[in-house]
Amino acid sequence: MRLWLSTVSTAMASCLMLGVGACHRAEMSKPLIVIIVPSQDNPFFKSEADAAAKRAQELGYRVRVDAHDDDAYRQDNLIDAAIASNAAAIILDNAGADSSIAAVRRATRAGIPCFLIDREIEANGIAKAQIIADNHQGAQIVAEEFARAIGPAGGDYAELLGRESDTNAQVRTTAFHAILDKQANLHRVAAQSANWSQAEAFQKTETMLQAHSSIRGIIAGNDTMALGATAAVKSSGVSGIVITGLDGSPDAIAAIRSGTLRATSLQPAVFISRLAVDEADLYLHKGSTGKPERQIVPCDLVTRENADQYEDFEKVR
Amino acid sequence: MSATVHVQPTSERLARVSIRTLLFVLRARAVIVLFALLVLFSVLAPSFLTTNNFAILSKHVALSAILAIGMTFVILTGGIDLSVGSLAGLGGMVAGYLLTQGIPVAGVIHYPNVGATILITFAACLLVGLLNGWLVAKAGVAPFIATLGTLYIARGAALLMSNGKTFPNLAGDAARGNTGFTFVGQSTFIGIPLPVWIMLAIFGLAWFISVKTPLGRHIYAVGGNERAARLAGIRVARVKIFTYLASSVCAATVGLIIASQLEASHPATGESFELNAIAAVVLGGTSLMGGRGSIPGSLIGAFVIGVLSDGLVMLGVSEFWQMVIKGTVIVLAVAVDQLQARVQAKFLPYLQVVDAEGHA
Repeated sequence: MRLWLSTVSTAMASCLMLGVGACHRAEMSKPLIVIIVPSQDNPFFKSEADAAAKRAQELGYRVRVDAHDDDAYRQDNLIDAAIASNAAAIILDNAGADSSIAAVRRATRAGIPCFLIDREIEANGIAKAQIIADNHQGAQIVAEEFARAIGPAGGDYAELLGRESDTNAQVRTTAFHAILDKQANLHRVAAQSANWSQAEAFQKTETMLQAHSSIRGIIAGNDTMALGATAAVKSSGVSGIVITGLDGSPDAIAAIRSGTLRATSLQPAVFISRLAVDEADLYLHKGSTGKPERQIVPCDLVTRENADQYEDFEKVR
Repeated sequence: MSATVHVQPTSERLARVSIRTLLFVLRARAVIVLFALLVLFSVLAPSFLTTNNFAILSKHVALSAILAIGMTFVILTGGIDLSVGSLAGLGGMVAGYLLTQGIPVAGVIHYPNVGATILITFAACLLVGLLNGWLVAKAGVAPFIATLGTLYIARGAALLMSNGKTFPNLAGDAARGNTGFTFVGQSTFIGIPLPVWIMLAIFGLAWFISVKTPLGRHIYAVGGNERAARLAGIRVARVKIFTYLASSVCAATVGLIIASQLEASHPATGESFELNAIAAVVLGGTSLMGGRGSIPGSLIGAFVIGVLSDGLVMLGVSEFWQMVIKGTVIVLAVAVDQLQARVQAKFLPYLQVVDAEGHA
């Protein structure tokens, strides 16, 4: 009885192992696409990585997702690992416009085409494609909405900047001011960096509201900081302060639906990721993407009127 | 003999008075710096000196002060707790998880009420605190390394809880019976925000423990001379474990307050908070070698840092300058600490001799 049982269980176990083994072998024979993003603890980069992974799997690729934590050295190691694993292509949201050039060149020389998403590098002809959202245009449309919401009477406003050493923080604030500085009756009375962080934006907004009771609007360099500002405004008990974000995160869109946030500008991260994987697939089959290297995708303005059309960094309706 | 005492040369009396004044100034440096900053910002920023602003300022200070108070215990024993920032992040995430995801029991999701949520959060953080204490006191790992390890463990655990996402809408849901969490960070009592009351309560308790209880004396003794403390019969391991537990409770409190203020918990919350707390403790005159320092000193240290950063924000000073100024103040404070120790060693014996003669 016992012998019989053990024979059956051994047989079942070996069948299972064989099955898994066959599955594993089939999986391993697929070409590999390595997706490298800055972090997986940020909804934006997570959506970006998930969308690329999903599309690549649909197209019959094996996928590995890594994060470089905005550390160029770590990115270097991840690129080396991708070369060592004999990847067919790399989808990369890089760790710095200058510091990433060498890594991308090394992968390209090793015969692995790189497709850059979300952020550019300061070099042409190395990556097969550089597909980015138009941060400048995205910041401008949200600044226009901000000015519209405050109204023709104008007034004082405050600005929450991102980490000031990030290129993107500079691009965004420059674009805001290209619009806002043209409005003669809008005055920036305070500007502070909250380092993209919600908790820091909360404290700094509280303090800025103390220093300037005249503030009628707060324009933030990203959604996380904008949500920190809405919490601070709520706790101060002042009403009618216009707050806008930038990025189009799911939390921000929920806040727009509930009316605490006026607007954000959605970066089509999911669209860009899919596009990059499609172009990688095309390149691997045909030897060309058929498109110029640098491709810029415009952002969408999200307000209460159209908030229901957006979800997880893409337009769903 | 008595003639020399009564008819002292004026120059010598003057010297004694000036040495006394110097020593007093050096000892009370944190209070003096705080006072100077308050005057400076009141003059430069018109709305700085208002009750409303002080309420908000104290609310901001409360976060680093609570961490600094817990950290003081650890540093007094000669240890250090680098994990408090991550632990605050983890605490917020545990609370966020319980309020938004609930606990599945036999296929049904139960949402614990706010009281239970807070208790479970404390329990989770105490577990990490216990691990810190065990590693340092029993396993003999250097405090810097042990808590550096738990810094990463706690941060990783916080990220794993939501897979890196934010838990939004912590206001709760009446249908789930878990509303009221916003009370912790957003309510006020006689016009003063609750976080400030929490800070005062923790401060009172910690001060009492440090000066009035045997445990407090033991903490100083362990930091002053661990071997002597052990030979005197103090249970050194137990004392050390207590300090790490106290620090983890403070970290959990901060995590809960932040999550409640923002009505959201983000796994990266609390990054580098440990450095602010250590800076506050050092500014307050506590020695990183252990055995010397005080709880009120750390509270004042936290206020110095808080007033400095809020005041500079009100003046519109850029983030980069704020960092430079904050760093300068910390370095100067520690330099003055060394100066005080030297002046004290040089002149105190002299003053005591003169005093003794004077009383004779």
